[in-house]
Order: sequence, then structure tokens, then C-alpha cells
Amino acid sequence: MRKGLTIGTAVALVTGAAMWFATTVGAQGGGTVEVEVKYNGAPQVEKLKVNKDTEKCGTETTIEKVVVGGNKGLANAVASAPGAKGASKAKAVIDQHGCKFVPHVVVMQPGEIEIKNSDDILHNIHTYSTANPSINKAQPKFKKVMTEKLEKPEFVKVTCDVHSWMLGWVAVVPGVAAATDTNGVAKLENVPAGKQKIEVWHETLGKQEKEVDVKAGSVTKVSFEMKGK
Amino acid sequence: MPKPRDFTKGLYKIRTTANKVPMDQDLFKIITDGMPGTSMPPWAVLPDKDRWNLVAYIKTFAPDAFKEAPKKLDLPKDVSSSETSLKRGKEMFEAIECHKCHGTEGRADGPSRPELKDEWGFPVAPANLTKRWTFRGGASRTDIATRLANGVLGTPMPAFLDSVEKPEDIWHLTNYIVSLGPERPRYATLITVSATKDALPDDPNAEFWKKATASAIPLMGQVIVDPRNFNPVIDLVTIRAAYNDTEVAFHLTWDDPSETKGDGKQTFPDAISLQFPPQITASTERPYFLMGDASEAVYLLRWQQGKGVGEASANGPAKIAPLQGGEVSGKVVYTNGQYRLVMKRPRIAKGEGRPTFQPAVFTPVAIQAWDGGAGESGTRMSLTSWYYLRLEEPQSNRRFVIPPVVAILTLAAMFLVVRAANRAR
Ligand code: HEC
Ligand SMILES: [Cu+2]
Repeated sequence: MRKGLTIGTAVALVTGAAMWFATTVGAQGGGTVEVEVKYNGAPQVEKLKVNKDTEKCGTETTIEKVVVGGNKGLANAVASAPGAKGASKAKAVIDQHGCKFVPHVVVMQPGEIEIKNSDDILHNIHTYSTANPSINKAQPKFKKVMTEKLEKPEFVKVTCDVHSWMLGWVAVVPGVAAATDTNGVAKLENVPAGKQKIEVWHETLGKQEKEVDVKAGSVTKVSFEMKGK
Repeated sequence: MPKPRDFTKGLYKIRTTANKVPMDQDLFKIITDGMPGTSMPPWAVLPDKDRWNLVAYIKTFAPDAFKEAPKKLDLPKDVSSSETSLKRGKEMFEAIECHKCHGTEGRADGPSRPELKDEWGFPVAPANLTKRWTFRGGASRTDIATRLANGVLGTPMPAFLDSVEKPEDIWHLTNYIVSLGPERPRYATLITVSATKDALPDDPNAEFWKKATASAIPLMGQVIVDPRNFNPVIDLVTIRAAYNDTEVAFHLTWDDPSETKGDGKQTFPDAISLQFPPQITASTERPYFLMGDASEAVYLLRWQQGKGVGEASANGPAKIAPLQGGEVSGKVVYTNGQYRLVMKRPRIAKGEGRPTFQPAVFTPVAIQAWDGGAGESGTRMSLTSWYYLRLEEPQSNRRFVIPPVVAILTLAAMFLVVRAANRAR
């Protein structure tokens, strides 16, 4: 019994030390993964006439289903390394501005998100989720900021029923994650060295994943090509 | 028609809880009382025990959704209605901009209305706040305050508990909504046409009409002949009527969320008609209520958006012939989701196929109405069976009591329409 306990303790100590070592090295000696997402098809951006709240919303808006930038880069995709813990806990913010959700895709760690209304008119925040409780709350002009919890990993669709064209996404991702820029590039910083799974998600083009070998202190490039559905 | 609830989703629109999970009592109440404005009937006829068993059974369809315990919603402390509360309620209604969906006067005519969809992608109309009896979750103050605090799950109606300036604003808003209309409509069985020596004003907003007796008449979707109308928009028309020696005038008020001339493809002109037998006799025989038939015609005094007031003769909904040369006139106004219309014609018939209106005679009348903006035209309409109107005797200020036989006839006719409607479904 006594012997068993000692061995158990020793094993625990050794694994604990190993884990400590791994995480510290990971955090200090992690690498950057530069994810490039490409799309070969045509962009899907629709123009729509607006006939209400035109002072704030303008008379025309665009529905951006698939935004393709320079060099066939796909914007508004989310790249993540789910295995990389300890990502920055900066508070996520989404703004209802000009009757659009800005940014179109917000990336956040499970936790709290700040929802702003900079328009001085009524919007509502209506989420479509299965893992998190769904939310449908009015955000009148005098309610400039609201805070909501999204604690489970999920890609949450967000709409406003007052302006039916308004559509945004909140990517609740536990690992290191970022949205691609207009050139289709997302940089994932501080990803632990070693084999890591990289996932890419896009609201209309779906998901893909690849494994990369991350080298501490250097930039590893990985490229994805999304297919039309 | 609202889609039947998919029990497997565990998503219940009407609940008194602070989270998604309804209380057993919420389900029990829906089973017992039904849901107004939907095809969910009340099951109060079932014994209590069976209804509780039904609650338990429904929950087994979505066990995951019921894993979480329901969290009882705590409403802010009740504030009773008063002038100051109503003022604050109206201010909040405007500051929050409820009118974006519900319209300035609450008649479901807001600018966002045409695009509203539920979470299953089906169009959903905002509630008409002047018709509390149609609220899905009930018409009491607590029902309304709970809906405002929680929203209506699965629909665009958002929750406001976190969005008002102060928690008690929920009650000020509730009091304001309650002030917009009666808890239940008081339907008339007999329409009185009052006698006057004055001229009958064409203007629907004239002071004269504000003082006239109003009779509320319920309308139903036409579901007897194809194409049917299972989801009628116009469910109530209020009639005021008056006559003098030479003329008779009808003042009609009804809610319609959009003033529509129609494109002839998806939308059609809004319209309404009053139907009478072409001759008014003492006999209780009347033409077929659905615009007559091949053997017996009806007379229509009607109005159509863009065309104005006219007369027609019909031998069924597919055989309508305009009557020329009548001396009809009238005027319509449309404000904030409501039509007000005056239709006027000579009291004594001028020309064939038209009835003469005589004092103290029971005159059969029926109504048909179309919301062209919702795609209603032809047999896709709202209607009533035969009602009666009566021109009061001049100089008599005694209120007329309806003979029981007339009341029974009216009720029986309504019953037949309802039964036909239920069979057709
Ligand atoms: C984004 C559109 C929208 C806004 C804004 C909105 N509503 Fe609604 N409301 C709806 C819809 C849609 C329904 C009908 C839901 C249904 O039929 O199930 C509804 C239903 C209701 C009901 C009836 C609930 C029931 O039991 O059927 C009330 C009362 C109500 N709203 C009041 C308000 C008030 C007061 C405000 C402002 C503080 C408001 N609404 C703002 C869309 C809206
Ligand atoms: Cu909006």
C-alpha cells in the first residue's frame, strides 16, 4: 500500500513536471502559423436596396456571402489551432454599425462578448445556437452596450430582425484563432511547437482541417483551398 | 397558418421562465387554453390527470432540452395603470421603437413587418396590439408583462427585460398595450342603421361618424370553395350606418397592415364588399351566403383600392357583373394600418338588381374583405355568413331589442360556416 502510494506520487510528479515543461516551452517557444485560405470560385456579394432607416443604413447594402480578395484569398474565414491553449483573453466586441454587424466575423474565446449599438436606432441581437442558450434581445438606441455570455465552442449566427439583411457570425473557439483578412491570411501566434491540427471554417463554404508541424520561433505556412458547395 | 409545434425541438414560444426551458405549468396552460390565433385548440375538456400525462409525454420528445431545470422568471414589481404610467409606457414604446414591427398605433403595420421570419424560416406577422385577444400567450397583464420580459421564443419578438431603461418599464409598457384595445371584442348580432335628418358625410373622419353606434363583426377565412384562405388577415370589421330620407351610408373600419393596389401577380387591390339580397322581402329565404348562386343573385355594394365605390350583381364568386348607372359615392382613408371607408347610395333603389332600404325591416347583410397585400383575391377572402341590419324608425329613441329568433338564426348561420370550415380542413 505504502509502496503503491510512493510510485503513484512519483508518476504524478514526473508527468506534472513534463506537462509544466511542455506548456512553458510551448508558450515561450511557440511558433506562428500563417494560414492562407484560397477560393477558386466567384465571389458571392449581393447588393440590396434599403427602404427603411435610410439615414443610418444608407439606401443600399451588400450581403457578403463569399468575399474573395487579392490573389484569390478568402476573407471572413476563421483559422484556428484548437490544441493551442492560453490564447489571449481580450474581450470580444461586435458592433451594430450602419445596419451591419462589424466585424462580419468576430473570433472569441468562450466567455463574454460586448455587443454595441452605434446607430442610434433600434436593433435586436438574435443568435442561432445549439450549444449556447439562444439570445433574442432588443437593443434600443439608448442601450449602447450589452454584454452576453457565449461559453460553449460554436459558430453562432447573429441576425437583427428589424433589418432582415443584417447577418454576422461569432466564432467561439477555445484555441488560438483568427479571422482571415481581405487577402485570405490569418496569423496564429504562440502555437506550441510540434504537430498541431489547424482548422478552417467559413460560413457558406464549410470546414477543413490539416496537420502542420510547428517550429518554435519561426513561421510555418499552411494553405487551404475551400471548395464551392 | 402557424406551423404545428415540432415537439422534438423543445422550443416553446410561450413560457414564464427566464431560460429556454418551460415550466410544466406553461405546457399545462397551453394544453388547457389552446393558443389563440393558431390551430392549437384548447383541451380543457380532458380531465386534469390526462392533461398532466400529456405534459409528461410531450417532454419525452426532447429529453435533452428538459435536462436543464426551468429557471423561474422574476418579473419586476407590478405597477398598476395610471395616467403617469400610460404616459411613460407610450414614451418607452416610442423610445424603444416597437413601431418598427408593430406600427405606430400597434396595428401590425411596421416597416419591418414584411420581412419578419420565425426560426424555421416561415413568415410571421407581428401581433396587432389593439387586439389583445389574439395574443398567443394570453391577454392578462401578467401574460403580457411576461411576454415583454421574455420575448416570444423562436420568433423575431425580442426580450426586453435587459433592454428597458428601468425594470418597471415592463409594466408601463404593459399598461400602455392594455390601453390600446379591449380584452375581448364585443361582437354585435344586429347592425342598427340610425335615422337622421342631416346630410350623411362622405368623410370617414367626420365627427358624425365618431358619434355613431359601432357594431363589431367577426370575419373568417373562406374555406368552402377553392382556392381557399386558411390564413385570413382581416378578422374583424366595424360597421356604423345611418340613413335619411334619400340616402343610406355605411361606414366601415378594418385593419390591414398595408395599403395595396397590387401588382396583379403576388399582390392584389385591397377590397371590401357589403352583400344584400337584390330584393328585401319579409321571407327568411336568402340567397346562398357565398355571393349567391346560379339561381339566386346577390347585390354587392363594394369598394376596391384604386377603383373606388361601385355596385355589382353576383351569381357566385366567379360570376360578378358590375351594375352601371347607380348613384354611389364614398371616400376612403388609410392611416397607420387601418382603413376607414364610407359607401353611400340612394335609399330607394334606382335601377334593376338593387334593394330598397326600408325602416323597421330586417335586412340580411354579409361582408367580404380582401387584404390584397397578403395575396388575397377572388375566393381567397375573409367573409361572414348572413347578418341582419335594421333601419331604426325615425323619431324613435327607444333602443331596439333583437327578437330571439333573429339572434338564433344569426348564430345558427355562423355555426354552419364554422362547421363547413372545419370539414374543409
Ligand atoms: C423585430 C420585430 C419586433 C419588435 C421590435 C417588437 N415586436 Fe412584439 N412581436 C413581434 C412578433 C413577430 C410577434 C408575434 C409572435 C408570434 O406570433 O408568435 C410579436 C408579439 C408581441 C406581443 C404578443 C405576444 C403574444 O402573447 O402573442 C406583444 C404584447 C408585443 N409583441 C409587444 C411588443 C412591444 C411592447 C414591443 C416594444 C417594446 C415589441 N413588441 C417589439 C415582433 C416584434
Ligand atoms: Cu438592425
